Amino acid sequence: MADELKNKDSKHHGHGHHGGHGKKGKRHHRIDASIKPGSAKYVWASISHNRGAVLGMIFLALIIILSLVSPLICRYSYSTTDFAAMKSWPSFDHLFGTDDLGRDILSRVLYGARYTLIIGLLSTVLSAILGIIMGAVAGYFGGVIDSCLMRFLDLFQAFPSLVLAMAFCAVFGTGVDKCILALGITGIPGFARLMRANILRIRNMEYIEAATTINCPTWKIIAQHIVPNAISPIIVEIAMSVSRNGLASSSLSFLGLGVQEPKPEWGQMLAATRNYIRDFPYMVIIPGIFIVLTVLSFNLLGDAFRDALDPNFKD
Amino acid sequence: MAKTRENFFGIRHLTVKYHSGNSIIHAVNDVSLELKEGETLGLVGETGAGKTTIAKSILRILPESSVESVEGDIWFEGKQILDMNDKELQALRGKSISMIFQDPMTALNPVKTVVSQIAEGYKQHHNCSKAEANKRAIEMLEMVGIGADRAEEYPHQFSGGMKQRVVIALALACSPKLLLADEPTTALDVTIQAQVLDLIRDLRNKLGTAMILITHDLGVVAEVCDKVAVIYAGRIIEQGTLEDIYDHPTHPYTCGLFGALPDMEKDVERLSPIEGLPPDPSVVREHCDFFERCPYACGKCKKFNNHMIEMTPDHLVRCWKANEGV
Amino acid sequence: MATLLETQNLKKYFKSGAGMVHAVDDITFKIEEGETVGLVGESGCGKSTLGRTLIHLNESTDGKILFQGKDVTNLNKRDIKQFRKDVQMIFQDPYSSLDPRQTVSDIIMEPLKLDGSFSKEEIKNRTRELMDIVGIEKRLRMSYPHELDGGRRQRVGIARALALNPKFIVCDEPVSALDVSIQAQILNLLMDLQRDLGLTYLFITHDMSVVKHISNQICVMYLGQMVEMCDRKELFAYPLHPYTKALLSAIPTTDIHNRKERIILKGEIKSPINPGPGCRFASRCPYADDSCKQGVKSCEVRPGHFVVCNKAKEINQL
Repeated sequence: MADELKNKDSKHHGHGHHGGHGKKGKRHHRIDASIKPGSAKYVWASISHNRGAVLGMIFLALIIILSLVSPLICRYSYSTTDFAAMKSWPSFDHLFGTDDLGRDILSRVLYGARYTLIIGLLSTVLSAILGIIMGAVAGYFGGVIDSCLMRFLDLFQAFPSLVLAMAFCAVFGTGVDKCILALGITGIPGFARLMRANILRIRNMEYIEAATTINCPTWKIIAQHIVPNAISPIIVEIAMSVSRNGLASSSLSFLGLGVQEPKPEWGQMLAATRNYIRDFPYMVIIPGIFIVLTVLSFNLLGDAFRDALDPNFKD
Repeated sequence: MAKTRENFFGIRHLTVKYHSGNSIIHAVNDVSLELKEGETLGLVGETGAGKTTIAKSILRILPESSVESVEGDIWFEGKQILDMNDKELQALRGKSISMIFQDPMTALNPVKTVVSQIAEGYKQHHNCSKAEANKRAIEMLEMVGIGADRAEEYPHQFSGGMKQRVVIALALACSPKLLLADEPTTALDVTIQAQVLDLIRDLRNKLGTAMILITHDLGVVAEVCDKVAVIYAGRIIEQGTLEDIYDHPTHPYTCGLFGALPDMEKDVERLSPIEGLPPDPSVVREHCDFFERCPYACGKCKKFNNHMIEMTPDHLVRCWKANEGV
Repeated sequence: MATLLETQNLKKYFKSGAGMVHAVDDITFKIEEGETVGLVGESGCGKSTLGRTLIHLNESTDGKILFQGKDVTNLNKRDIKQFRKDVQMIFQDPYSSLDPRQTVSDIIMEPLKLDGSFSKEEIKNRTRELMDIVGIEKRLRMSYPHELDGGRRQRVGIARALALNPKFIVCDEPVSALDVSIQAQILNLLMDLQRDLGLTYLFITHDMSVVKHISNQICVMYLGQMVEMCDRKELFAYPLHPYTKALLSAIPTTDIHNRKERIILKGEIKSPINPGPGCRFASRCPYADDSCKQGVKSCEVRPGHFVVCNKAKEINQL
């Protein structure tokens, strides 16, 4: 111990005169002090040190791969009905058992993952893109544009988002695409508000004024100085939104407004078998577990991103 | 040593460490102080020198999540603060020792009238009726120059200087014996600062409250303090009476601070800054903390384990060269 | 010596919920080439707004700004671009004036790149030269602002401002966020740069000892108005405006034997929203009477010494 201390000491003297310890002095103690916070490298280093996030990533990667290759590896197709093996409990033939029509639940769960994930991801992409643009415009230009845009978005926020999504589906019909659209649109206000708040905060920073004094054109100020610094919280929100929308797609499907039979969406699987919860609980529990684990994984990732990107978590 | 315990207030060998990431931050290193009743001590130092940590250790309000260890002794009227239980601490904070923070807004509750905030604290410690507490609160406000007609207003209705007066009234409502003031005027404008310093000086003389004034401003210390301790990298490097420090600054760092200050009275062509930066607080040093920046440093300084050297019984300097007339 | 920058009755008002904020009201002053004009006043007196208005970071509401004799009050986009090569700014907060995602060399290079008239090689050389001038070690080239201490960050900000060889720099409280020992380093650097590069500064600060150290001329502002303006030595020897007197007397000094007589101001600070006519200091002024509330005029009480106070002569027995 004493040796170690001395060692640190002498290392310190080597550059003691020049200062700049923030960078060098700490390098011996903290591996990531030399990496710039907010950079992709830093985020990766921070996330890979977060056990929950790593577990979440492993689960999601596993689910995505298995879902993609499920038609190749599963013994049964997700839609094949086997009337000889209706409602059979988990066994070696059917690892997760079969549902009321004799369809293999393992195949259905794995195949169904793609719907939940696709709906979650694409609806998030839709709301993030539109939300970021609207929020950035409202935040940067302010005034009348800001008021109009934000009051318009208030209309959406006046309803619970699931109710709004249900209304969309009721009007435009059901299906994967409608589901994405409905969830995507209801997610816009959240992103827009977050982006606007961040832009407002950064717009008042002195480095934005400094950029103006050195003749930086407005578009460049927005693209190079404002947006990159405003985007961190958005990334967190994206991870959270994917999990929220995945869950919402299951809710819509459960209500019969999302993915339709015979496509095996998890929420829809719950809905179709909910009458058997007493006698064959595995039919409901297994898709339920997958919904919970997927949502949990995204939430863990989102938390890890927040910790990695939030400057308040450092020092 | 035994004498310290009998004293009104004393700190002996206080060492506070924080943890940050994988490293240990040595915020306060072996600090010892003494204070007699009614005395005012100025604790001077730059950002990160450990001034606020000392004050927070006295009240035991250090952020628990990041503190690695607190060692040493802090005495107040014969009792060990670091050994107190929650109940004793409750009685101590606010009643016997209270604190004024730099930003008055953080000390005031924005949704309560100023009079009710002061009354509340008084009631807690004195077991009296609400009317009595309110009367005391209005008295306190009047003492700091805020009329009874403004007592029912909310903190946001006051200007910065007035808010700091409210905070002072709040801190003094229970007639504490010791007041810790952490940069009480730093957030204020000069003319307002003069008013607040004037007030602090007046109240101290009237009430006989002992005070520790924490600041980076040598001018403010000169205005109100009897004794001064200069702190650098978590260690007191020079302490003494106001005259000792201002007339005979001895430690090279203290001298450096005076040299770096633009002088109001004389015209100086060029300032003499202290070159370099304070040392990394996560590194343990066995020699003088100021070594790298010291214009008088020599090879011998590296070998010396620098202790306090007595210039006079009151004037202590942590530099072995002090006696050699540097 | 030629006049570099001049304002005539410059005004800058902001709209707020409660009315018009008179942040800069009717200011006329001159800055001579190669000199430092210190602009002092307390928080919210409009000194930063004035500095920003001079270099077109704010558009003025009324009045004129002349730069090298040319009217630059209203400029089109191209002229503003040209104008900004001559005028620059050093900001108060070295923590927020540098983009956290740029490296030191990115920050210093940016103005050169944006200018578009330099080759890659020239940009590289000039960046190196600038780092040298302001005293940033070369090894810090690829560091990010969060890795630097406040003093170095401020040096980076200074290098960025110097990149295109400006003539005039507005320094907005450049040392008030720094510790005393670092503050002295930056003040020395600014004075060296002025001597070597012939720069002209408008030095905005609330710290009287700093302004005394660095300025040739000093302007004192109170609530959007200039109240006193003269040579540095003159101001500290013969402060004439009651506010300046109070301000000077309020500075805590380190001289413990010669304590000054303090002027402790009473009364509340007037709101800058629709302040109406008359002296804005009247609410706190020990000498104010009804005539002060009617209106005030600027007068040259001593040669080169301007005071905006009706009673200046009376108070000072001139």
